[in-house]
Amino acid sequence: MLLEVRNLKKYFSTPGGDLHAVDGVSFGIEEGHTLGVVGESGCGKSTLGRVILHLLDQTDGQIFFEGRDITHVNKRELKELQKKMQIIFQDPFSSLNPRMTVAQTIREPLLITKMYPKDQIDKEVLRMMDTVGLARRLANSYPHELDGGRRQRIGVARALVLNPKFIVCDEPVSALDVSIQAQIINLLLDLQKERGLTYIFITHDLSVVKYLSHDILVMYLGQMVEKSPARDIFRHPLHPYTKALLSAVPIPDVDAKLNRILLKGELTSPINPKPGCRFAQRCIYAKDKCSQVNPELEEILPGHTVACHYAGEINGL
Amino acid sequence: MTKKDVLLSIKDLDVQYKTEDGVVHAANGISLDLYEGETLGLVGETGAGKTTVALSVLKLIPDPPGKIVAGEITYKGRDIVNMPESEMRKIRGDEISMIFQDPMTALNPIIPVGEQIAEAVRFHSDVSRQEAQQKAMQTLELVGIPAERYDEYPHQFSGGMKQRVVIAIALCCNPHLLIADEPTTALDVTIQAQILEMMNELKSEMNTSLIMITHDLGIVAHMCDRVAVVYAGQVVEIGTTRQIFKNTAHPYTVGLFDSLPHLDDADDTELDERRLKPIPGLMPDPANLPHGCKFAPRCPYKTDVCENPVELKELEDGHMVRCILMDKQPGGEG
Repeated sequence: MLLEVRNLKKYFSTPGGDLHAVDGVSFGIEEGHTLGVVGESGCGKSTLGRVILHLLDQTDGQIFFEGRDITHVNKRELKELQKKMQIIFQDPFSSLNPRMTVAQTIREPLLITKMYPKDQIDKEVLRMMDTVGLARRLANSYPHELDGGRRQRIGVARALVLNPKFIVCDEPVSALDVSIQAQIINLLLDLQKERGLTYIFITHDLSVVKYLSHDILVMYLGQMVEKSPARDIFRHPLHPYTKALLSAVPIPDVDAKLNRILLKGELTSPINPKPGCRFAQRCIYAKDKCSQVNPELEEILPGHTVACHYAGEINGL
Repeated sequence: MTKKDVLLSIKDLDVQYKTEDGVVHAANGISLDLYEGETLGLVGETGAGKTTVALSVLKLIPDPPGKIVAGEITYKGRDIVNMPESEMRKIRGDEISMIFQDPMTALNPIIPVGEQIAEAVRFHSDVSRQEAQQKAMQTLELVGIPAERYDEYPHQFSGGMKQRVVIAIALCCNPHLLIADEPTTALDVTIQAQILEMMNELKSEMNTSLIMITHDLGIVAHMCDRVAVVYAGQVVEIGTTRQIFKNTAHPYTVGLFDSLPHLDDADDTELDERRLKPIPGLMPDPANLPHGCKFAPRCPYKTDVCENPVELKELEDGHMVRCILMDKQPGGEG
C-alpha cells in the first residue's frame, strides 16, 4: 500500500455552520495503481485530493504514505513529501503563471527543492519537455501562446519533474476537446507504465475514469458511498446513487438503450448535515431508517464496499 | 424520417472577424437545412464555428469585429441577413430563441429570475404586467421550478436550476426554433439527464425545432434526429444521426469517435495495454486556413488532391461528406 487514508475529514467553517466537504473517507492505493474518484460538483473530491497533499489541513483522520503516518508534518518534512507527491490541476489556463515561460514553470520546483546542481537543471527541464511531448522550441513561450493541450502538458511536466511516486490528477482533461483529451490520457497512461506512478484521478467523466482506473471510489456530499475494482462497479453498481450516476451518462451509440434513472430533487446541503444517509432525499429506495441512521460502509462482495442500508436487498444479494 | 418543410436554411455562410492577427474565418461556406420539428446536432471542437452559426442565425455576431460577408440565411422564407434590426428584434427571443452555454453568466444577477422571464414576455406580446407575470410563473413551473421562487435572485439557485431559468426565458414566448449552445456542459451528469429529458418533453409538446450545439457525441446520440459535423468553419459531414454513427465517413468524424474512451473498451483490454487513438495535431489557425481540405494536415488518408478545395458530396440519401477519398474509403469504423 503506497497511500492509505483512514477516516479522513475536512470541515470548512462557514457563517451557516460547518461544511462537511470530506466526511470520513477511508481507502488505500497499491503502488502503480490508479484510484478514480468520481462524484458531482461539490461532493468533496477535489478537497480530498488537496487534503492528502497537505494543500489543505485535515480536520480529523489519518494519512499514511509509504507506511509512515504523514498526517502531521513539519515544514521540512513537507518539503521532502512534496518531492514524492504532486498534483496536476484541472484548468491549464489558470493554474499556470502567465508571466513565466514554459521552461521557467518547469524549472521552478527544481530550484525550490535544489534536487540537482545548478548546471544540470536546464538539461533536466529539456529532458522533461521531451518526456511530455513539448517541442524544445517552446521553452521560451508563454502559456497564452499555447493551446489547451500543450498547456496541460506543462502542468504534467511541472508535476513530474521532481520524479514523484504519487500524483493527484484533479480533472486534468475536463477543459480539453476530446481529440486533445485522448492525447493527454495516453500520456498519463504511458508515464504510469514507464515510471510505476500511482495516481488519484479525480473526475466527473465516468468513461474516462473507467478507462484508466484500477479501482473507483464514488463520493456523494463528502462521503464515500461505494468503492470497488473499476470493472465491478460498472457491471454491478450497488449503491442507488452510483446506479443513477452511471445511467445518466449519455453513451455515444444510437442503439444504446436508455434506462435513465432520473433523480428528483436537489442536493442536500453539506452544511451541518443531518444524521442519516445524505442521498436519502433523492433516493427512490429510501425508507424511514435512511433519514435517521447513517449507513456504514460494508464489504458486500469481495473488494466491493458500499454504504447503503438496503444495498443487499436492492441488489438481491 | 419523413422529410418535412424546411424551417431554416443556411447557404454558403461566410463569417469573418477582423483581428490584429489578420482575418479570422469563423465560418467558411456553411450550408445546412433545418426541418420543422426536428433536432439537428451541431458537433465539433472548440473554435470550429458552431457558436458562430448560432449567433449568425440570430444576427448577434458582434460587428465590428465580426461580419457576415457572404451567404444566405432564410427563416420561414424570410431573409435574415438583410433584415432590418427593428424587425429582427421581433423575431429574436420570440420566434427564434437561444439557450446560452453558461447559466452562471447568462442571467442578470440583480434582477429576480421571474422578472427576467416576464421582461421577455412583455417585450414580445402586448400584455399587462400582471399577465406577463402569470406567463412567467407558468413557464417556471413548466421547467420544474416552483412559481413561489419568482422573486428570488440567480445566486439563490443552483447551477442546474439556473440553467432551467435560462431555458424558461428561451421558452416563454413559445419559440418555433430553439438554439441550445452547449446547454448542459456546465452541469453534472445527473442534472444534465434531467435537463435533457425536460427539453425533449417540451420540444414534443410545443413542436419546437431545435439546434443542439454540443461536443458530446453521447448527447447527440440521444437527442438528435440529424447531425452536422463542423470543422474549421465548414460542414464536413451531415446526415441522420444513424448515418453518422453507423456509417461514419469523414476521417475527422472517424477520428472524433476514435478519441472517445468507450465504456466497453475497458472490459476487453488490460489497463496496461489501453491506449486511445487521438487525432494527431491541432485544428488549423482560423486566421491561416489551408486552401484545400481544412482537415488534410491531420488526415491519415491525405493525398496531393487534398490541396484543392473539396465540395460536399452525397454518399447516401441525405448523407453528405466533404472528402475527396469518400468513394474509396470503406465506411464504418474507418
